[in-house]
Amino acid sequence: MSQIAFWGAVELGLVFAFVAIGVYLAFRILDFPDLTVDGSFPLGAAVAAVLIISGLDPWLSTAVAMVAGAAAGLVTATLNVRFKILNLLASILTMIALFSVNLRVMGKPNVALLNQDTMLSAFFGQGVPEYLVRPIFVGLLVIVAVVLVWRFLESDAGLAMRATGANSRMARAQGVNTGGQIYLGMALSNALVALGGALFAQTNGFADVTSGVGTIVVGLAAVIIGETLLGARGILLALIGCVFGSIAYRLAIQLALSSDALGLKASDLNFVTAVLVAIALILPRLRRSGGAA
Amino acid sequence: MISLSDIQVVFGRGTPLQKQALKKIELTIETGSFVTVIGSNGAGKSTLLGVLAGDVLPTAGRVTIGNVDVSRKPTAARAGQVARVFQDPLAGSCGALTIEENLALAAARGKVRGLMPALGSKRREFFKERIASLNLGLENRLKDRMDLLSGGQRQAVSLVMATLAGSDVLLLDEHTAALDPGMAEFVMQLTDQVVTERKLTTLMVTHSMRQALDYGDRTVMLHGGEIVLDVSGGSRKDLQVEDLIEMFRKIRGQKLDDDELLIG
Amino acid sequence: MRRLILALAAATAFILPAHAENVTVAVTAIVEHPALDAARDGVKQALAEAGYKEGENLKFVYQSAQGNPGTAAQIARQFVGDAPNVIVPISTPSAQAVVGATRDIPIVFTAVSDPVGAQLVKDMEKPGRNVTGLSDMLPVADHLALIKEITPNAKTIGYIYNSAEANSVSTLAALKAAAEKSGLKVVESVATKSAEVQGATRALVGKADVIYVPTDNTIVSAFEAAAGVAAEAKLPLYAADTDSVARGAIAALGFNYFDVGKQTGAIVVKVLKGEKPGNIPAKVAVGTDLVLNKKAASAIGVTFPESATKRATKIIE
Repeated sequence: MSQIAFWGAVELGLVFAFVAIGVYLAFRILDFPDLTVDGSFPLGAAVAAVLIISGLDPWLSTAVAMVAGAAAGLVTATLNVRFKILNLLASILTMIALFSVNLRVMGKPNVALLNQDTMLSAFFGQGVPEYLVRPIFVGLLVIVAVVLVWRFLESDAGLAMRATGANSRMARAQGVNTGGQIYLGMALSNALVALGGALFAQTNGFADVTSGVGTIVVGLAAVIIGETLLGARGILLALIGCVFGSIAYRLAIQLALSSDALGLKASDLNFVTAVLVAIALILPRLRRSGGAA
Repeated sequence: MISLSDIQVVFGRGTPLQKQALKKIELTIETGSFVTVIGSNGAGKSTLLGVLAGDVLPTAGRVTIGNVDVSRKPTAARAGQVARVFQDPLAGSCGALTIEENLALAAARGKVRGLMPALGSKRREFFKERIASLNLGLENRLKDRMDLLSGGQRQAVSLVMATLAGSDVLLLDEHTAALDPGMAEFVMQLTDQVVTERKLTTLMVTHSMRQALDYGDRTVMLHGGEIVLDVSGGSRKDLQVEDLIEMFRKIRGQKLDDDELLIG
Repeated sequence: MRRLILALAAATAFILPAHAENVTVAVTAIVEHPALDAARDGVKQALAEAGYKEGENLKFVYQSAQGNPGTAAQIARQFVGDAPNVIVPISTPSAQAVVGATRDIPIVFTAVSDPVGAQLVKDMEKPGRNVTGLSDMLPVADHLALIKEITPNAKTIGYIYNSAEANSVSTLAALKAAAEKSGLKVVESVATKSAEVQGATRALVGKADVIYVPTDNTIVSAFEAAAGVAAEAKLPLYAADTDSVARGAIAALGFNYFDVGKQTGAIVVKVLKGEKPGNIPAKVAVGTDLVLNKKAASAIGVTFPESATKRATKIIE
């Protein structure tokens, strides 16, 4: 594996770390199986790309992309909380609708950003190779996100959200408006996923409507790998686990891509993913039974 | 003061399963009094508690707690006035959260929850003190997850949680029923101590007639959605468990089933 | 985590053996299907004809992104890191991912219908930078002429495509413009994944007189589903790539993607010989084959005019 390929995998892992944190918020904190992310990831990419092309500042465009993602999360939450549609189904409905929305936003299936200034442009050409600038830049954003989400989840407001997912009856008895928490959590989760999409478009030079395919699987895999690597002790470790899980996932794929010697091909990726997630799930069990013996 | 006036609750209205759970309940509880509620299965005890907590919104009638009309307010909206301990030890706290996080959650009951850290050093100190008063050694385990505790320990912590923030009424929903006898006794003693010390207005639903008469200053018996007995003061002091059983017999016109009422 | 990195590093060490080959050409496609695979094989063939033989003086690397742009981005970084002599991305997203990943390594894209719109090159004549390639913008006017020649009574053309594919959307715009000129109507039907192709085709029954399938990755990968419905409804089915004729189309005037690959390969050879990609004009692929399927045609009562059979490159009996 070359340096560029290694750092490329790290960079993509960091971009998808936002997805992993979003998925963690929905699945683990709120206990809300949310497939909206398959639509909000390309939505973030689409909104950011279209606005950047229209001449808006890339940072502002990215912020708007996050707002769009949050709105998508709110739609899912509304279907679930207000109209009592089963959470999984509500998120699938939003995801399907977003496919059309994304096409509308872009006006075509693919928007290129190869010649536009992005959030990263200012940092290129300062003596650091681009293949390092990208992961460093995205990595810094990830650190900011991890710290903010961590502080939030350990605040009074964050505790209310965690209680909503863990025991909604108790949460209500403690005066927590559980419906409101679901709105807030879904908005936050999908805003982070959309941020990932916006960064994906800017680091790779294009937004494509098909880029949402399998986002949920990647996010979930990252969360599970993270939990296996770092355990589930405390919020901060869980969030760091999401980040490392996401990077580990990409490195494993990179390994599959570069391992002609092992006889693996890119077409084996789905298999590798499945094996990876399975190993991540089995390892803790083996460790436990090993300790008992 | 808490008052229920002309409370009616009908479940499944307009369906073949329609059931009137409460019929024209009139009940006033003075501030600082400790009311115990008994009754057989289906008498309406849980519904009555639900009406006060907000889980059940009455079909007709008015509920006021501390001079506030809460008749249409859902649970979360009136939580600032209502503290509660559930029957199921798992229901009243979050197993996935630590003991101190559960306490922090409860300390902010009914208040606006901000973005400040939930567990500052001041709060931790306060929690430690309160948990230490249980004498269960839990003050050194504040960072343990709640689901590592036994049922009795969880109920004891739940009781502390219920008293961290102020409330106009404490609702106890058969909160010792799921515990082994020793632990049930401990939690009941603790309850009595807390209620007396803090002069809490309390409503305790119980299966045990012994508990109903030994604790509190007033006892209400429900049957078929109606209050059939309401005693306090001298007449309550003279009342024996046997008298209560006799009353039940009369009302039901049949022999009592041990499953329905615990005499002990 | 550190253990994991160490393990990866160790694995890397023995995966990178020394190569004896003189040049390396790395090819990637967004997805695997017959047309794109044929393009890849065409590139390889052209290289071989120019004296670059795999296993002798050429290392030929191929990766498919399995339809996932995220993977396409990773493959792009992989290739850039390996620094081959030329990277050949097939299809729009793969090309964008590679172009976004390097400003140095020569890139020769292929099977991209609108390279300027996709921002791969600023100008077809003078691409500049490190990029050039071949566009496969379909000659839709020729396709309409063929449809009129074989099925003169057709008034409405059904168009099945995936609205998420850039190539198909630009083809639709071109088709509508061309149809208007020749007095034909176009009705569209969308399938966003291969499982929807059958339904999308059925939606055209009764609305369209003939069905036309562009070089759409989604539709082509489930072409049999479209062919089944068309045969049942006795609707003449036209394709834009010749490989689909054997799979049930009655006729196609299309790029032979093997040829497209060979034309791409010729550009790759130029770059290998030292020409700068930025100085090689990006071109639209040429050379279309007419392939007819007599069996499929007669099954729905269509007979080919002699003019068509005479110039056909291939007729399936």
